[in-house]
Formats: sequence, structure tokens, C-alpha cells
Amino acid sequence: MYEEPYRWVEAVGNRRQYLDEQFKQGSPVVALTYDGGILLTTVSKGTPKLYEIYDRLALGGMGHPTDLEKLRFSLLEMAHVEGFNRSPSDVTGSRLVKYGIAPVIKQAFEEMYKAPFIVRILVAELGLKPEKDALLTINYDGTFEETTGRAVLAATPAVHTKMMSYLKEQMPATLSLEQALALALRTWAIGSLAHQQEEADQQAEAKPPTSGAGSSAAAIPSSDTLIAHVRGIAGERTIECAVLDRQASGTSKYRLLKPADLSSLLPKAFQSVVAN
Amino acid sequence: MGMQGDFLQLLKEQGYTLGVPATVGTGHALTNATTILAFKYRDGVLVAGDRRATAGNIVMYDRTDKVLEIDRHSVMAIAGVPATAYEMVRVLEHSFKYYRRTQLQELSFDGKLRAVSKLLKDNVPAALAGTGAVVPVFAGYDVEQGSAKIYFYDILGAEFEGVEYAVSGSGSPTIRGILHYLNTWGEQPLSALPEEQAMVQALRLLTSAAEFDSATGGINREASLYPVIKLITGAGVQTVPNATLKPLYEAQVVRYV
Repeated sequence: MYEEPYRWVEAVGNRRQYLDEQFKQGSPVVALTYDGGILLTTVSKGTPKLYEIYDRLALGGMGHPTDLEKLRFSLLEMAHVEGFNRSPSDVTGSRLVKYGIAPVIKQAFEEMYKAPFIVRILVAELGLKPEKDALLTINYDGTFEETTGRAVLAATPAVHTKMMSYLKEQMPATLSLEQALALALRTWAIGSLAHQQEEADQQAEAKPPTSGAGSSAAAIPSSDTLIAHVRGIAGERTIECAVLDRQASGTSKYRLLKPADLSSLLPKAFQSVVAN
Repeated sequence: MGMQGDFLQLLKEQGYTLGVPATVGTGHALTNATTILAFKYRDGVLVAGDRRATAGNIVMYDRTDKVLEIDRHSVMAIAGVPATAYEMVRVLEHSFKYYRRTQLQELSFDGKLRAVSKLLKDNVPAALAGTGAVVPVFAGYDVEQGSAKIYFYDILGAEFEGVEYAVSGSGSPTIRGILHYLNTWGEQPLSALPEEQAMVQALRLLTSAAEFDSATGGINREASLYPVIKLITGAGVQTVPNATLKPLYEAQVVRYV
């Protein structure tokens, strides 16, 4: 049924549509570099979405927990075998992504009779020097992107753009962990609100249009609105924060921030978020 | 299966082998020219080792580190063939990390002990051939139980708990007796020693071992050469810097006759 070229293109299109649907419930992931390392933040429900991969590598994910687990194990296996056979400094995010899991994800995406991976993945790598820090993102079709400074995972491309432009506007050249944490949570709220808005717009489209005023041009919500949004949602979910801390003693630089760490790091306005 | 978090198994699936003798062994006398020791003190466990590496009666190197940190709460002190010992430490280090990262929890202290035993058992052919015998002391702090623990092994992988102390290497017979004496008739048992006194005793013990064993390196003040001493407490492993050992050595170990 997919033998003909036309059919195949159609099938890929269907697949994209199906996969896009799957991320509707997903929570965005934000990664930022700060003066002491890299911060990863998300707000999760039930299963954790941030993980340690190797001495200087962390993983953030969106999508199906089982698919994420499978890929997490592949990353762990590759990283540890390479680190043992060669050396820990030969384990780099870029090699793991480009030659490791991205081809696997792409192959699964294109094999029409098999299930694709329902995941978007972010790999953060703490370089030996700050200028070597890297953030890699991989989409469900295997396309990857390498950036520095900031990266996000979001449910749709439009939400992704909104979050990135908010970060571009709000992120100073250097920031402390406290500042990074507050900014990351606000950016998460931008993503979460934008996604809610998109859903609402789609439902509205189903009904006859009322006026010409589109909500897509809406102004950036104020900081208070964003904090209120996080606070509203934190009751039934968990704020997850992890850092790759350049100052950490020993070889493993990954550390999950515990509620106690969070409450001492977060600005007052966010305090009640952690108390939950 | 990776799901079990067994790193050694993963390596084996990829064709890795440990403990295959390099040649058909003649089983010549096992040498483990060194002195390592571990004893419990008030806050945890102290592990120390001299720094000499020898080949026959030649000193290969005088700054070897034989007390190797495996993770935040455990160290392995090695006596025996260094090539095999370092390889074992590398396997263990990666195994514990791999377990923690895949299973999202620390490997239990007993699990760590098993891992050491398993490696030694795999290494038996090389040990018997005379090319890879390792006789380690494994010490650590069991965070769950809140207590320090010491284990020593024979080359076949049998595990023994050193209740108060453990020693290994060619210089160990000398200090084994001293440890027994100190612990039984000393002013206070080893396990009651405060940190500073524990370090002084370790320096004295290694100096005694060097006195009678040519394969154990002594302290060389001119070259600022001191033994490796590590302290393991609930807070983790801590390496004692030379700057701390130097005044202790000068004030409480050196005897001016």
C-alpha cells in the first residue's frame, strides 16, 4: 500500500500528524547555561523526565515514557561502554546523538509498518570549559540541532518559537543559578500557556469565527501571570530541576535539585510552588 | 540485558574478557610487593597505602597510588599485579555508575562487595598463572546502615570481613601484629581513635612496614613523599593532603635519637 512514491509521502505526512497529536499532553523542557553550568527544568506528572546519562551529560525528554526509557538505556549503554573502552572525555553528546540515537529514531520513523518513537529529546553536555557547553535536541523524525546557551522542547513548532523568542529577549549574557531557575520556570509557563492557547484556538476554529482579532498576536504575559500559572499547576505536578554543576567534586557533575534546594534558590514569588 | 544494570555483563556481550592468562602459567611465586592497610576509627574508616611500585628488586616508581576511589563512599586498596588491579578498579567504577544511572538508585553496599568478588573470580585463571593476582582490601561507608565496613579478599575471590582492620601486601605481616597489639592492649581500641590520632597511627604503621620490607616505600620528607591516606565517612571519601601529613609526621612519627 505504501510502495508507490506518492503513497509513501502521504504515509509520512500521516505519521507526522499522528506524532504531533501525541505531544499534546507533553510538558515543555527548558535548558539554560548559567555561570556555574547547565540547568534543565520541566514540570512533570508521574514519571520523571530528566536523567543523568554520563559524567557530563544529562537528558531531558518529552513523549511516551517507555520510548524515552528505551532511548535512555541506549544512550547509557553507548556512553558507558565508550567511556570504559576509550576514556570519559571521548564520550560527547554530539557523537552519541549524531551517530548513536538520531539514526535509530529516524529509521523507526520511516519504517511504516513499525511504531515510531514518540519522543523529543534534549541532551545537555557540560564542556570542560564553559564555551564548550552544548545543547542538542532531537525530534521524533531524527532531525537534530546543536545549539549553545539555551534550548527547549515544546509540543508544537509555534510554541517552540514562542519560548525561544522569550528566552532570547529575557536572557542576560550571564546569570546565576537563582536567576536561571526563575527564568526557566517562566519560560516553561510561556510554553505551557501558549500550548493551552493553541488548543483553545483550534476549538474556536471549529465554531464560526466571531471577530477578526486573532489571539496569536497576544502580548507576552507578564511575569506575575507566568508565576501564577506555574503555581496553579504545581499542585498536581512536580517541578523537576537538574544541573550539570561545573564546581561539583568528583567526576559526576549531574545533580537533581531537591525540594529543599529549590526553596532556597527560588525567588519568594515562587516559594509556594515548592511547598506543594 | 541492560535492564538489570549489569555493566560487566554488557562488556562481556561485546566480547570483553578479564583474567585470561597472557601465557600458559608456570604458577611461580605470587608477589604482591606493597603494604596497604585499613582500620576503623571514630568517624569511619581509614585506608592507607605506601607509594612504591617494584619489579623484582628494582624500584619502578615511587609515586604510585594504590588506594583508589571507586565512588563517593568506597575505595579499593590494591596489592598484586597493578595492570589487573587498575583494570578491576576501572570496571568497578563504571559498573557502580552504570547501575546508579540506569536503575536510578545506588547499588547497595552488599551489591558492591559481590561485584568485587565476581571480578576476582573471573580473574582466577590469570591469578593462578602468575600474571594477574590481585589481593585487594575494599573499604567503604554503608550509607543505609550508617556504618563503616572493611573487607579483604584472597586471590580466588573469597570475601572476609575485617571487623576492626585489614592488611594486604608483602609488608603486611609486620603491621598485622602491631595492629593486633594496638587494638587489644593500646590505650584505646582503634575504633575509638579520633581522626588525627588515626592518621598518626597509619603513618607509624607504614613506616614500620618500610623498615622491614624492601618493597614498601617509606616517607621521604625531602621529596615531599608521603603515603596515600584516605578517610571515608558518611560525608564521602576524603584524601588527606600532604600539608596535613607533614606536621603530623614531624611531630609524632620522627624519632630523634
